[in-house]
Amino acid sequence: MKRTREKHYLLLLTPLLLLVLLLAIYPLLFALGISFFNYRLTDPTQTRHFVGLANYLRAFHSPLVHTAVINTLLFVAGTVSLELLLGLGMALLLNHENKLIQLIRSWLVLPMALPALVVGLIWKALYNVDFGPLTYYLKHLGLNLGRGPLGESHLALPAVMLIDVWQWTPLAMLIFLAGLKSLPQEPYDAARVDGANSWQQFWHLTLPLLKPTWLILLLLRTMQGFKVFDTLYATTGGGPGTATTVLNYHIYTQGMVFFRMGYAAALANILLVLVGMLAIFYIILLERQRQ
Amino acid sequence: MRMSKVQVLIQGMLVAAMLLFFLLPIYWLLSTAFKFGRDAFATPPQWFFFHYTLENFRQLWQNSGTPGYLRNSIIISGGVTALSLLLGVPAGYALARSQSRLIAASSHLFLLLLMLPPIAMLIPFYLLMRQLHLLGSYAGLILLDTLFDASFVAWLMRSTFAEMPPAMEEAALVDGASVWQVFRKIALPLAWPGLSAAAIYCLIFSWNDFLFALMLTSPRTKTLPLGIMASFSAVEISWGRMAAMSFIAVLPPFFVALFLNRTWQATISQRSSPNS
Repeated sequence: MKRTREKHYLLLLTPLLLLVLLLAIYPLLFALGISFFNYRLTDPTQTRHFVGLANYLRAFHSPLVHTAVINTLLFVAGTVSLELLLGLGMALLLNHENKLIQLIRSWLVLPMALPALVVGLIWKALYNVDFGPLTYYLKHLGLNLGRGPLGESHLALPAVMLIDVWQWTPLAMLIFLAGLKSLPQEPYDAARVDGANSWQQFWHLTLPLLKPTWLILLLLRTMQGFKVFDTLYATTGGGPGTATTVLNYHIYTQGMVFFRMGYAAALANILLVLVGMLAIFYIILLERQRQ
Repeated sequence: MRMSKVQVLIQGMLVAAMLLFFLLPIYWLLSTAFKFGRDAFATPPQWFFFHYTLENFRQLWQNSGTPGYLRNSIIISGGVTALSLLLGVPAGYALARSQSRLIAASSHLFLLLLMLPPIAMLIPFYLLMRQLHLLGSYAGLILLDTLFDASFVAWLMRSTFAEMPPAMEEAALVDGASVWQVFRKIALPLAWPGLSAAAIYCLIFSWNDFLFALMLTSPRTKTLPLGIMASFSAVEISWGRMAAMSFIAVLPPFFVALFLNRTWQATISQRSSPNS
Protein backbone atom coordinates (compact mmCIF):
# COMPACT_ATOMS: atom_id res chain seq x y z
CA MET A 1 0.00 0.00 0.00
CA LYS A 2 2.57 2.52 1.18
CA ARG A 3 5.09 1.12 -1.30
CA THR A 4 2.80 1.63 -4.31
CA ARG A 5 2.02 5.12 -3.09
CA GLU A 6 5.70 6.04 -3.00
CA LYS A 7 6.09 4.55 -6.44
CA HIS A 8 3.35 6.81 -7.73
CA TYR A 9 4.98 9.85 -6.17
CA LEU A 10 8.20 8.92 -7.88
CA LEU A 11 6.29 8.62 -11.14
CA LEU A 12 4.97 12.18 -10.74
CA LEU A 13 8.50 13.41 -10.19
CA THR A 14 10.20 11.41 -12.94
CA PRO A 15 9.53 13.66 -15.97
CA LEU A 16 11.13 16.69 -14.32
CA LEU A 17 13.96 14.61 -12.92
CA LEU A 18 14.70 13.26 -16.38
CA LEU A 19 14.69 16.76 -17.84
CA VAL A 20 17.18 17.91 -15.19
CA LEU A 21 19.43 14.92 -15.73
CA LEU A 22 19.36 15.32 -19.49
CA LEU A 23 19.62 19.09 -19.80
CA ALA A 24 21.64 20.01 -16.72
CA ILE A 25 23.66 17.13 -15.37
CA TYR A 26 24.70 15.80 -18.76
CA PRO A 27 25.82 19.20 -20.11
CA LEU A 28 27.71 19.89 -16.87
CA LEU A 29 29.60 16.62 -17.17
CA PHE A 30 30.17 17.33 -20.83
CA ALA A 31 31.60 20.74 -19.91
CA LEU A 32 33.90 19.08 -17.42
CA GLY A 33 35.08 16.81 -20.23
CA ILE A 34 35.76 19.44 -22.88
CA SER A 35 37.54 21.69 -20.42
CA PHE A 36 40.51 19.32 -20.79
CA PHE A 37 40.55 19.75 -24.56
CA ASN A 38 41.56 22.42 -27.00
CA TYR A 39 38.26 22.70 -28.85
CA ARG A 40 37.50 25.60 -31.18
CA LEU A 41 34.28 25.76 -33.14
CA THR A 42 36.01 28.01 -35.68
CA ASP A 43 38.47 25.25 -36.50
CA PRO A 44 37.35 23.83 -39.86
CA THR A 45 38.40 20.29 -38.99
CA GLN A 46 36.65 20.46 -35.61
CA THR A 47 39.34 18.39 -33.97
CA ARG A 48 39.72 18.26 -30.22
CA HIS A 49 43.20 17.94 -28.76
CA PHE A 50 43.57 16.67 -25.25
CA VAL A 51 45.55 19.29 -23.35
CA GLY A 52 45.13 18.16 -19.74
CA LEU A 53 44.97 21.03 -17.31
CA ALA A 54 46.34 23.58 -19.77
CA ASN A 55 43.04 25.48 -20.01
CA TYR A 56 42.87 25.83 -16.24
CA LEU A 57 46.51 26.86 -15.98
CA ARG A 58 46.00 29.40 -18.73
CA ALA A 59 43.02 30.81 -16.84
CA PHE A 60 44.98 31.11 -13.61
CA HIS A 61 47.78 32.97 -15.36
CA SER A 62 45.68 35.21 -17.61
CA PRO A 63 45.82 38.91 -16.63
CA LEU A 64 42.39 39.32 -18.21
CA VAL A 65 40.95 36.69 -15.87
CA HIS A 66 42.58 38.44 -12.91
CA THR A 67 40.95 41.72 -13.97
CA ALA A 68 37.64 39.94 -14.45
CA VAL A 69 37.81 38.36 -11.00
CA ILE A 70 38.62 41.70 -9.38
CA ASN A 71 35.79 43.40 -11.28
CA THR A 72 33.40 40.62 -10.28
CA LEU A 73 34.33 40.94 -6.61
CA LEU A 74 34.04 44.75 -6.72
CA PHE A 75 30.71 44.52 -8.51
CA VAL A 76 29.29 41.95 -6.12
CA ALA A 77 30.59 43.58 -2.93
CA GLY A 78 29.47 47.06 -4.01
CA THR A 79 26.01 46.19 -5.28
CA VAL A 80 25.16 43.77 -2.50
CA SER A 81 26.13 46.11 0.33
CA LEU A 82 24.34 49.09 -1.22
CA GLU A 83 21.23 47.09 -2.03
CA LEU A 84 21.02 45.68 1.47
CA LEU A 85 21.54 49.02 3.21
CA LEU A 86 19.16 50.93 0.97
CA GLY A 87 16.65 48.08 1.03
CA LEU A 88 16.61 48.03 4.82
CA GLY A 89 16.20 51.80 4.96
CA MET A 90 13.30 51.69 2.54
CA ALA A 91 11.67 48.79 4.36
CA LEU A 92 11.86 50.70 7.65
CA LEU A 93 10.35 53.79 6.05
CA LEU A 94 7.48 51.85 4.49
CA ASN A 95 6.77 49.45 7.32
CA HIS A 96 3.22 50.68 8.02
CA GLU A 97 -0.03 49.41 6.64
CA ASN A 98 -2.20 51.91 4.85
CA LYS A 99 -3.56 52.26 1.34
CA LEU A 100 -1.06 54.92 0.26
CA ILE A 101 1.96 53.00 1.49
CA GLN A 102 0.76 49.81 -0.16
CA LEU A 103 0.38 51.72 -3.41
CA ILE A 104 3.86 53.22 -3.10
CA ARG A 105 5.31 49.79 -2.43
CA SER A 106 3.74 48.22 -5.49
CA TRP A 107 5.13 51.04 -7.65
CA LEU A 108 8.57 50.79 -6.10
CA VAL A 109 8.98 47.15 -7.06
CA LEU A 110 8.44 47.90 -10.76
CA PRO A 111 12.16 47.97 -11.67
CA MET A 112 12.70 44.34 -10.85
CA ALA A 113 9.81 43.24 -13.05
CA LEU A 114 11.36 44.76 -16.16
CA PRO A 115 13.62 42.86 -18.58
CA ALA A 116 17.21 43.51 -17.45
CA LEU A 117 18.14 44.27 -21.03
CA VAL A 118 15.59 47.09 -21.28
CA VAL A 119 16.78 48.41 -17.92
CA GLY A 120 20.31 48.47 -19.30
CA LEU A 121 19.20 50.38 -22.40
CA ILE A 122 17.23 52.93 -20.36
CA TRP A 123 20.32 53.71 -18.31
CA LYS A 124 22.52 53.75 -21.36
CA ALA A 125 20.33 56.56 -22.64
CA LEU A 126 20.25 58.35 -19.27
CA TYR A 127 24.05 58.16 -19.16
CA ASN A 128 24.51 59.25 -22.78
CA VAL A 129 27.16 61.93 -22.94
CA ASP A 130 25.39 64.10 -25.54
CA PHE A 131 21.76 64.11 -24.53
CA GLY A 132 21.39 61.80 -21.52
CA PRO A 133 19.26 63.55 -18.88
CA LEU A 134 21.36 62.27 -15.97
CA THR A 135 24.63 63.37 -17.54
CA TYR A 136 23.04 66.72 -18.38
CA TYR A 137 22.10 67.44 -14.76
CA LEU A 138 25.41 66.14 -13.41
CA LYS A 139 27.31 68.41 -15.79
CA HIS A 140 25.23 71.33 -14.57
CA LEU A 141 26.35 70.50 -11.06
CA GLY A 142 29.84 71.13 -12.37
CA LEU A 143 31.04 67.54 -12.63
CA ASN A 144 33.53 66.71 -15.33
CA LEU A 145 32.32 63.48 -16.91
CA GLY A 146 34.62 63.31 -19.92
CA ARG A 147 33.25 60.74 -22.35
CA GLY A 148 30.29 60.07 -20.08
CA PRO A 149 29.81 57.69 -17.14
CA LEU A 150 29.95 54.62 -19.39
CA GLY A 151 32.84 55.90 -21.48
CA GLU A 152 35.44 56.60 -18.82
CA SER A 153 37.13 53.54 -17.41
CA HIS A 154 37.17 54.79 -13.81
CA LEU A 155 33.43 55.63 -13.93
CA ALA A 156 32.08 52.68 -15.91
CA LEU A 157 32.06 50.06 -13.16
CA PRO A 158 30.31 52.28 -10.58
CA ALA A 159 27.88 53.33 -13.33
CA VAL A 160 26.82 49.76 -14.16
CA MET A 161 26.72 48.95 -10.45
CA LEU A 162 24.20 51.75 -9.98
CA ILE A 163 22.00 50.10 -12.63
CA ASP A 164 22.04 46.85 -10.67
CA VAL A 165 21.27 48.73 -7.45
CA TRP A 166 18.36 50.45 -9.17
CA GLN A 167 16.87 47.20 -10.36
CA TRP A 168 17.42 45.01 -7.30
CA THR A 169 17.15 47.24 -4.21
CA PRO A 170 13.35 46.82 -4.36
CA LEU A 171 13.84 43.08 -3.88
CA ALA A 172 15.90 43.69 -0.74
CA MET A 173 13.14 46.05 0.44
CA LEU A 174 10.44 43.41 -0.12
CA ILE A 175 12.33 40.73 1.76
CA PHE A 176 13.23 43.06 4.62
CA LEU A 177 9.56 44.05 4.86
CA ALA A 178 8.62 40.38 5.15
CA GLY A 179 11.34 39.97 7.78
CA LEU A 180 10.14 43.01 9.76
CA LYS A 181 6.59 41.75 9.69
CA SER A 182 7.56 38.44 11.26
CA LEU A 183 9.48 39.98 14.19
CA PRO A 184 8.11 39.09 17.63
CA GLN A 185 6.44 41.92 19.56
CA GLU A 186 7.38 40.98 23.15
CA PRO A 187 11.05 42.10 23.17
CA TYR A 188 9.92 45.55 22.02
CA ASP A 189 7.32 45.82 24.78
CA ALA A 190 9.96 44.85 27.30
CA ALA A 191 12.46 47.33 25.87
CA ARG A 192 9.91 50.14 26.02
CA VAL A 193 9.18 49.36 29.65
CA ASP A 194 12.91 49.59 30.27
CA GLY A 195 12.91 53.01 28.62
CA ALA A 196 14.85 52.20 25.45
CA ASN A 197 14.49 54.85 22.76
CA SER A 198 13.69 53.94 19.19
CA TRP A 199 17.35 54.14 18.10
CA GLN A 200 18.35 51.70 20.86
CA GLN A 201 15.47 49.42 19.92
CA PHE A 202 16.62 49.40 16.33
CA TRP A 203 20.27 48.79 17.17
CA HIS A 204 19.84 46.18 19.89
CA LEU A 205 16.64 44.43 18.77
CA THR A 206 15.68 44.93 15.15
CA LEU A 207 19.12 44.45 13.63
CA PRO A 208 20.01 41.27 15.56
CA LEU A 209 16.52 39.82 15.13
CA LEU A 210 16.70 40.40 11.38
CA LYS A 211 19.92 38.40 11.13
CA PRO A 212 18.39 35.47 9.22
CA THR A 213 16.93 37.89 6.67
CA TRP A 214 20.30 39.63 6.29
CA LEU A 215 22.08 36.37 5.74
CA ILE A 216 19.64 35.06 3.19
CA LEU A 217 19.63 38.28 1.22
CA LEU A 218 23.39 38.48 1.38
CA LEU A 219 23.84 35.01 -0.07
CA LEU A 220 21.07 35.36 -2.60
CA ARG A 221 22.21 38.70 -3.98
CA THR A 222 25.83 37.54 -3.99
CA MET A 223 24.97 34.56 -6.13
CA GLN A 224 22.82 36.66 -8.42
CA GLY A 225 25.56 39.26 -8.65
CA PHE A 226 27.89 36.65 -10.12
CA LYS A 227 25.34 36.10 -12.90
CA VAL A 228 25.09 39.69 -14.15
CA PHE A 229 25.02 39.73 -17.93
CA ASP A 230 22.13 41.49 -19.68
CA THR A 231 22.89 44.85 -18.10
CA LEU A 232 26.49 44.72 -19.28
CA TYR A 233 25.56 43.51 -22.73
CA ALA A 234 23.18 46.46 -23.13
CA THR A 235 25.52 49.11 -21.79
CA THR A 236 29.27 48.64 -21.96
CA GLY A 237 29.87 45.19 -23.43
CA GLY A 238 32.57 44.76 -20.80
CA GLY A 239 34.33 47.98 -21.73
CA PRO A 240 35.73 50.54 -22.01
CA GLY A 241 38.77 48.31 -22.33
CA THR A 242 38.20 45.76 -19.64
CA ALA A 243 36.74 48.16 -17.06
CA THR A 244 33.44 46.29 -16.69
CA THR A 245 34.45 42.79 -17.77
CA VAL A 246 33.23 40.43 -15.06
CA LEU A 247 33.94 36.70 -15.05
CA ASN A 248 30.50 35.79 -16.36
CA TYR A 249 30.89 38.17 -19.28
CA HIS A 250 34.42 37.01 -20.00
CA ILE A 251 33.21 33.41 -20.27
CA TYR A 252 30.51 34.48 -22.70
CA THR A 253 33.03 36.33 -24.87
CA GLN A 254 35.51 33.45 -24.90
CA GLY A 255 32.84 30.86 -25.68
CA MET A 256 30.29 32.59 -27.85
CA VAL A 257 32.32 35.28 -29.59
CA PHE A 258 35.71 33.58 -30.03
CA PHE A 259 34.25 30.04 -29.86
CA ARG A 260 37.08 28.76 -27.66
CA MET A 261 34.87 26.10 -26.16
CA GLY A 262 37.44 24.21 -24.09
CA TYR A 263 38.83 27.34 -22.48
CA ALA A 264 35.38 28.84 -21.87
CA ALA A 265 34.25 25.57 -20.28
CA ALA A 266 37.27 25.63 -17.96
CA LEU A 267 36.48 29.23 -16.95
CA ALA A 268 32.82 28.32 -16.46
CA ASN A 269 33.80 25.43 -14.20
CA ILE A 270 35.89 27.74 -12.04
CA LEU A 271 32.91 30.08 -11.68
CA LEU A 272 30.66 27.11 -11.02
CA VAL A 273 32.80 25.90 -8.13
CA LEU A 274 32.89 29.41 -6.63
CA VAL A 275 29.13 29.94 -6.82
CA GLY A 276 28.35 26.29 -6.07
CA MET A 277 30.04 26.55 -2.69
CA LEU A 278 28.00 29.64 -1.89
CA ALA A 279 24.82 27.90 -3.02
CA ILE A 280 25.43 24.87 -0.85
CA PHE A 281 26.14 27.12 2.11
CA TYR A 282 22.85 28.91 1.39
CA ILE A 283 20.89 25.66 1.23
CA ILE A 284 22.35 24.47 4.53
CA LEU A 285 21.37 27.79 6.07
CA LEU A 286 17.81 27.45 4.77
CA GLU A 287 17.52 23.93 6.13
CA ARG A 288 18.73 25.10 9.56
CA GLN A 289 16.09 27.81 9.61
CA ARG A 290 13.35 25.44 8.62
CA GLN A 291 14.01 23.36 11.73
CA MET B 1 4.28 55.82 18.07
CA ARG B 2 3.75 59.57 17.76
CA MET B 3 5.95 61.50 15.41
CA SER B 4 6.75 65.17 15.36
CA LYS B 5 5.90 67.28 12.32
CA VAL B 6 9.57 67.50 11.39
CA GLN B 7 9.87 63.72 11.37
CA VAL B 8 6.81 63.39 9.16
CA LEU B 9 8.26 65.97 6.81
CA ILE B 10 11.63 64.20 6.61
CA GLN B 11 9.94 60.87 5.99
CA GLY B 12 7.81 62.35 3.27
CA MET B 13 10.84 63.83 1.58
CA LEU B 14 12.72 60.52 1.73
CA VAL B 15 9.77 58.66 0.22
CA ALA B 16 9.52 61.27 -2.53
CA ALA B 17 13.23 60.90 -3.28
CA MET B 18 12.83 57.13 -3.48
CA LEU B 19 9.91 57.38 -5.85
CA LEU B 20 11.82 59.83 -8.02
CA PHE B 21 14.90 57.61 -8.20
CA PHE B 22 13.06 54.39 -8.96
CA LEU B 23 10.34 55.71 -11.24
CA LEU B 24 11.91 58.50 -13.26
CA PRO B 25 13.93 56.11 -15.47
CA ILE B 26 10.75 54.19 -16.23
CA TYR B 27 8.90 57.41 -16.98
CA TRP B 28 11.75 58.39 -19.30
CA LEU B 29 11.28 55.16 -21.26
CA LEU B 30 7.52 55.41 -21.51
CA SER B 31 7.55 59.09 -22.52
CA THR B 32 10.36 58.69 -25.04
CA ALA B 33 8.27 56.09 -26.87
CA PHE B 34 5.88 58.95 -27.71
CA LYS B 35 8.48 61.53 -28.68
CA PHE B 36 9.81 62.72 -32.01
CA GLY B 37 13.57 62.35 -32.43
CA ARG B 38 14.32 66.03 -31.76
CA ASP B 39 12.48 65.91 -28.41
CA ALA B 40 14.16 62.65 -27.41
CA PHE B 41 17.57 64.21 -28.01
CA ALA B 42 16.72 67.63 -26.61
CA THR B 43 18.92 69.36 -24.02
CA PRO B 44 17.75 70.33 -21.52
CA PRO B 45 15.69 67.12 -21.34
CA GLN B 46 12.00 67.45 -22.18
CA TRP B 47 10.01 65.71 -19.46
CA PHE B 48 6.41 66.76 -19.96
CA PHE B 49 5.93 69.43 -22.61
CA PHE B 50 6.66 67.91 -25.97
CA HIS B 51 4.63 66.87 -29.00
CA TYR B 52 3.14 63.45 -28.41
CA THR B 53 3.29 61.18 -31.41
CA LEU B 54 2.59 57.60 -32.38
CA GLU B 55 5.16 57.85 -35.17
CA ASN B 56 7.59 55.45 -33.46
CA PHE B 57 4.95 52.76 -33.16
CA ARG B 58 3.82 53.24 -36.76
CA GLN B 59 7.39 52.75 -37.95
CA LEU B 60 7.77 49.66 -35.79
CA TRP B 61 4.75 48.07 -37.32
CA GLN B 62 5.77 48.87 -40.87
CA ASN B 63 9.44 48.33 -41.34
CA SER B 64 10.94 46.23 -38.63
CA GLY B 65 10.64 42.68 -37.44
CA THR B 66 8.58 43.71 -34.42
CA PRO B 67 5.40 41.73 -35.19
CA GLY B 68 7.60 38.67 -35.70
CA TYR B 69 9.54 39.24 -32.48
CA LEU B 70 6.29 39.71 -30.61
CA ARG B 71 4.93 36.47 -32.03
CA ASN B 72 8.11 34.60 -31.09
CA SER B 73 8.05 36.00 -27.56
CA ILE B 74 4.43 34.92 -27.14
CA ILE B 75 5.06 31.42 -28.52
CA ILE B 76 8.13 30.91 -26.36
CA SER B 77 6.81 32.24 -23.07
CA GLY B 78 3.51 30.43 -23.66
CA GLY B 79 5.30 27.18 -24.39
CA VAL B 80 7.64 27.54 -21.45
CA THR B 81 4.77 28.28 -19.06
CA ALA B 82 2.65 25.34 -20.22
CA LEU B 83 5.54 22.88 -20.15
CA SER B 84 6.91 24.14 -16.82
CA LEU B 85 3.53 23.75 -15.11
CA LEU B 86 3.02 20.33 -16.68
CA LEU B 87 6.36 19.08 -15.35
CA GLY B 88 6.76 21.17 -12.23
CA VAL B 89 3.34 20.92 -10.55
CA PRO B 90 3.16 17.10 -10.28
CA ALA B 91 6.79 17.10 -9.18
CA GLY B 92 6.02 19.68 -6.49
CA TYR B 93 3.14 17.54 -5.26
CA ALA B 94 5.39 14.50 -5.02
CA LEU B 95 8.01 16.53 -3.13
CA ALA B 96 5.38 17.74 -0.65
CA ARG B 97 3.64 14.42 0.05
CA SER B 98 6.22 11.71 -0.34
CA GLN B 99 7.90 10.31 2.77
CA SER B 100 10.86 8.97 0.84
CA ARG B 101 14.31 10.29 1.65
CA LEU B 102 15.37 10.01 -1.97
CA ILE B 103 12.58 12.26 -3.20
CA ALA B 104 13.23 14.81 -0.47
CA ALA B 105 16.89 14.90 -1.48
CA SER B 106 15.99 15.62 -5.09
CA SER B 107 14.33 18.86 -4.02
CA HIS B 108 17.78 20.15 -3.17
CA LEU B 109 18.91 19.29 -6.65
CA PHE B 110 16.29 21.64 -8.09
CA LEU B 111 17.22 24.41 -5.69
CA LEU B 112 20.91 24.06 -6.47
CA LEU B 113 20.16 24.20 -10.17
CA LEU B 114 18.31 27.50 -9.71
CA MET B 115 21.32 29.09 -8.09
CA LEU B 116 24.13 28.09 -10.39
CA PRO B 117 25.30 30.57 -13.02
CA PRO B 118 23.48 29.64 -16.24
CA ILE B 119 26.56 30.38 -18.34
CA ALA B 120 28.16 27.19 -16.96
CA MET B 121 25.35 25.18 -18.49
CA LEU B 122 24.90 27.31 -21.57
CA ILE B 123 28.12 26.48 -23.37
CA PRO B 124 27.68 22.69 -23.26
CA PHE B 125 23.96 23.13 -23.87
CA TYR B 126 24.73 25.17 -26.96
CA LEU B 127 26.95 22.37 -28.25
CA LEU B 128 24.27 19.80 -27.45
CA MET B 129 21.59 21.74 -29.32
CA ARG B 130 24.00 22.19 -32.20
CA GLN B 131 24.49 18.43 -32.44
CA LEU B 132 20.74 17.86 -32.31
CA HIS B 133 20.20 20.56 -34.97
CA LEU B 134 17.93 22.43 -32.58
CA LEU B 135 19.88 25.71 -32.66
CA GLY B 136 17.59 28.49 -33.76
CA SER B 137 14.45 26.46 -33.15
CA TYR B 138 11.72 27.27 -30.67
CA ALA B 139 12.26 23.87 -29.07
CA GLY B 140 15.82 24.47 -27.89
CA LEU B 141 15.01 27.73 -26.12
CA ILE B 142 11.75 26.43 -24.67
CA LEU B 143 13.54 23.37 -23.27
CA LEU B 144 16.27 25.41 -21.61
CA ASP B 145 13.87 27.96 -20.13
CA THR B 146 11.69 25.11 -18.93
CA LEU B 147 14.62 23.46 -17.18
CA PHE B 148 14.97 26.45 -14.86
CA ASP B 149 11.33 27.50 -14.62
CA ALA B 150 9.97 24.00 -14.00
CA SER B 151 12.53 23.51 -11.23
CA PHE B 152 11.29 26.69 -9.60
CA VAL B 153 7.65 25.68 -10.09
CA ALA B 154 8.38 22.35 -8.37
CA TRP B 155 9.98 24.22 -5.48
CA LEU B 156 7.14 26.74 -5.21
CA MET B 157 4.38 24.13 -5.49
CA ARG B 158 6.09 21.97 -2.90
CA SER B 159 5.44 24.62 -0.27
CA THR B 160 1.94 25.33 -1.61
CA PHE B 161 0.93 21.68 -1.32
CA ALA B 162 2.75 21.21 1.97
CA GLU B 163 0.70 24.03 3.51
CA MET B 164 -2.59 22.35 2.58
CA PRO B 165 -3.94 20.03 5.32
CA PRO B 166 -3.49 16.45 4.09
CA ALA B 167 -6.52 15.02 5.94
CA MET B 168 -8.88 14.95 2.97
CA GLU B 169 -6.25 13.46 0.70
CA GLU B 170 -5.44 10.80 3.32
CA ALA B 171 -9.11 9.85 3.60
CA ALA B 172 -9.43 9.49 -0.17
CA LEU B 173 -6.30 7.33 -0.30
CA VAL B 174 -7.69 5.09 2.44
CA ASP B 175 -10.91 4.78 0.44
CA GLY B 176 -8.88 3.34 -2.39
CA ALA B 177 -8.30 6.35 -4.65
CA SER B 178 -4.96 6.38 -6.44
CA VAL B 179 -2.30 9.02 -5.87
CA TRP B 180 -2.98 10.38 -9.32
CA GLN B 181 -6.72 10.72 -8.66
CA VAL B 182 -6.11 12.45 -5.35
CA PHE B 183 -3.69 14.84 -7.00
CA ARG B 184 -6.03 15.65 -9.89
CA LYS B 185 -9.35 15.80 -8.08
CA ILE B 186 -8.53 17.05 -4.59
CA ALA B 187 -5.13 18.71 -4.33
CA LEU B 188 -4.92 20.51 -7.66
CA PRO B 189 -8.25 22.40 -7.44
CA LEU B 190 -7.29 23.68 -3.99
CA ALA B 191 -3.89 24.86 -5.12
CA TRP B 192 -5.13 27.65 -7.39
CA PRO B 193 -3.32 30.56 -5.73
CA GLY B 194 0.00 28.75 -5.93
CA LEU B 195 -0.67 27.68 -9.51
CA SER B 196 -1.41 31.18 -10.72
CA ALA B 197 1.70 32.49 -8.97
CA ALA B 198 3.78 29.81 -10.67
CA ALA B 199 2.27 30.60 -14.06
CA ILE B 200 2.94 34.33 -13.67
CA TYR B 201 6.53 33.63 -12.69
CA CYS B 202 7.16 31.46 -15.75
CA LEU B 203 5.50 33.93 -18.10
CA ILE B 204 7.49 36.92 -16.87
CA PHE B 205 10.83 35.20 -16.59
CA SER B 206 10.73 33.61 -20.01
CA TRP B 207 9.38 36.88 -21.43
CA ASN B 208 12.25 38.86 -19.90
CA ASP B 209 15.00 36.37 -20.72
CA PHE B 210 17.82 37.64 -22.89
CA LEU B 211 20.93 35.51 -22.46
CA PHE B 212 19.34 32.16 -23.36
CA ALA B 213 17.59 33.65 -26.37
CA LEU B 214 20.80 35.35 -27.45
CA MET B 215 22.60 32.04 -27.63
CA LEU B 216 19.87 29.80 -28.96
CA THR B 217 17.67 31.72 -31.39
CA SER B 218 18.10 32.49 -35.06
CA PRO B 219 16.86 35.62 -36.87
CA ARG B 220 13.61 33.75 -37.47
CA THR B 221 12.98 32.91 -33.81
CA LYS B 222 14.29 36.08 -32.14
CA THR B 223 12.33 37.29 -29.14
CA LEU B 224 11.48 40.89 -28.29
CA PRO B 225 14.52 41.71 -26.12
CA LEU B 226 16.78 40.47 -28.92
CA GLY B 227 14.81 42.45 -31.44
CA ILE B 228 15.26 45.57 -29.34
CA MET B 229 18.99 45.01 -29.15
CA ALA B 230 19.27 44.22 -32.85
CA SER B 231 17.34 47.21 -34.10
CA PHE B 232 19.23 49.37 -31.67
CA SER B 233 22.70 48.39 -32.78
CA ALA B 234 21.70 48.88 -36.41
CA VAL B 235 23.23 51.76 -38.32
CA GLU B 236 20.58 54.33 -37.60
CA ILE B 237 20.19 54.52 -33.84
CA SER B 238 16.73 55.62 -32.92
CA TRP B 239 16.05 56.01 -29.24
CA GLY B 240 12.40 56.65 -30.00
CA ARG B 241 12.00 53.33 -31.79
CA MET B 242 13.99 51.55 -29.09
CA ALA B 243 11.71 53.06 -26.47
CA ALA B 244 8.58 52.14 -28.42
CA MET B 245 9.74 48.54 -28.76
CA SER B 246 10.69 48.41 -25.09
CA PHE B 247 7.28 49.88 -24.28
CA ILE B 248 5.70 46.79 -25.82
CA ALA B 249 8.18 44.53 -24.04
CA VAL B 250 7.53 46.00 -20.59
CA LEU B 251 3.72 46.02 -20.79
CA PRO B 252 3.17 42.42 -19.58
CA PRO B 253 5.56 42.62 -16.60
CA PHE B 254 4.17 46.07 -15.80
CA PHE B 255 0.64 44.77 -15.74
CA VAL B 256 1.60 41.87 -13.52
CA ALA B 257 3.62 43.96 -11.07
CA LEU B 258 0.93 46.61 -10.69
CA PHE B 259 -2.33 44.70 -10.84
CA LEU B 260 -1.39 41.25 -9.60
CA ASN B 261 1.08 42.74 -7.15
CA ARG B 262 0.19 40.57 -4.17
CA THR B 263 0.86 37.34 -6.04
CA TRP B 264 3.88 38.77 -7.78
CA GLN B 265 5.51 40.05 -4.62
CA ALA B 266 4.82 36.83 -2.76
CA THR B 267 6.31 34.75 -5.57
CA ILE B 268 9.38 36.87 -5.97
CA SER B 269 10.06 36.75 -2.23
CA GLN B 270 9.51 33.02 -2.30
CA ARG B 271 12.01 32.71 -5.11
CA SER B 272 14.53 34.29 -2.80
CA SER B 273 13.78 32.72 0.54
CA PRO B 274 12.01 29.52 -0.35
CA ASN B 275 10.74 28.79 3.13
CA SER B 276 9.36 32.15 4.20
